[in-house]
Amino acid sequence: MEEQPQKQAADQPADSGGEGGEGGPSQVAGAQEARSEDRMTLLLRLRAQTKQQLLEYKSILDASEEKTPEQIIQEKQIEAKIEDLENEIEEAKIAFEIKQLAIDSVLMDNMKHLLKLNKLVMKSQQESWDLEEKLLDIRKKRLQLKQASESKLLEIQTEKNKQKIDLDGMENSERIKIIRQNLQMEIKITTVIQHVFQNLILGSKVNWAEDPALKETVLQLEKNVDMI
Amino acid sequence: MSVLRPLDKLPSLNTATILLVGIEDALLQQLADSMLKEDCASELKVHLAKSLPLPSSVNRPRIDLIVFVINLHSKYSLQNTEESLRHVDASFFLGKVCFLATGAGRESHCSIHRHTVVKLAHTYQSPLLYCDLEVEAFRATMAQRLVRMLQVCAGHVPGVSALNLLSLLRSSEGPSLEDM
Repeated sequence: MEEQPQKQAADQPADSGGEGGEGGPSQVAGAQEARSEDRMTLLLRLRAQTKQQLLEYKSILDASEEKTPEQIIQEKQIEAKIEDLENEIEEAKIAFEIKQLAIDSVLMDNMKHLLKLNKLVMKSQQESWDLEEKLLDIRKKRLQLKQASESKLLEIQTEKNKQKIDLDGMENSERIKIIRQNLQMEIKITTVIQHVFQNLILGSKVNWAEDPALKETVLQLEKNVDMI
Repeated sequence: MSVLRPLDKLPSLNTATILLVGIEDALLQQLADSMLKEDCASELKVHLAKSLPLPSSVNRPRIDLIVFVINLHSKYSLQNTEESLRHVDASFFLGKVCFLATGAGRESHCSIHRHTVVKLAHTYQSPLLYCDLEVEAFRATMAQRLVRMLQVCAGHVPGVSALNLLSLLRSSEGPSLEDM
């Protein structure tokens, strides 16, 4: 009539203190994650347990509602009855298994269908991805062309500017001034010579209108050299 | 409260309790140690008793599985078991009772015939397991088996109940005709 209860520590991480003592924050974080995962699994397990126990109690309640026969039946009859009941249980189990198999086959079909659809989805996604890549390439090329044209235009502009500067520079150069001065001089000389000839012909009181050669010369002298 | 009832207490969370009834303390203790060494997700509690009824002064949790250990070497062991069986409620026998016959290895020492034990188990519609508890390897295997049975009887295995397990364990051979 003795009794000796014994207990075993649950396999919770009771060494949480030891884990905290380990160096390194990453290890502690990993241990905490493992502990929260353990808690989750523990909770799920407890939930399954409680469900199963509830089911057992419910079934016992249902069973106790049935009336047991009060009369005394012979042992052999009891055994025969027990066998019948057991056979009933077995048949119920087998029917259940068959139903499960049927449901599973439907499930398998659904899953296969799902797999097919998933493959299609993946294929079309891949195609759209390829098209996007092509689009991206073309855009890149366009950008490159734009940049090239920009640089070319810039070059043209700089060239033009250079030319303008050169031109301006040329305007102010010394040689041109000298040449201009010489030109002015020559123009003056020519004008003077023109006047001299004019005055010569007019002073000689010759009728220059009659002689076509003289007429032409006078008219030509009238032309202002500046205007050339 | 001299009769053990299976459902008079509510189950404690994540705990499974087994009661080992037998006259040989050493064997029971060894078996209990092997069971506690087993890897089990739920908390295990092992109670040992020489015979029933248990003293009602002790506050104990709901018992999920009773294992009657019968030593085939001693007739007293069988007598003790039969007397203790009277203190167990009938609803316990729906899968929460199991008989364990030990000592069958040494045929010469057996004073109880195997058929007696088979008939006893058949009468009470409970499974009968054979194991030589003195051999370490067999004891460890039996401990593993008992732990799994205990988990099922405590409701810790979803989808399998004690009664379900009982119908699975039902052996096709009853006691042979010569004994009936």
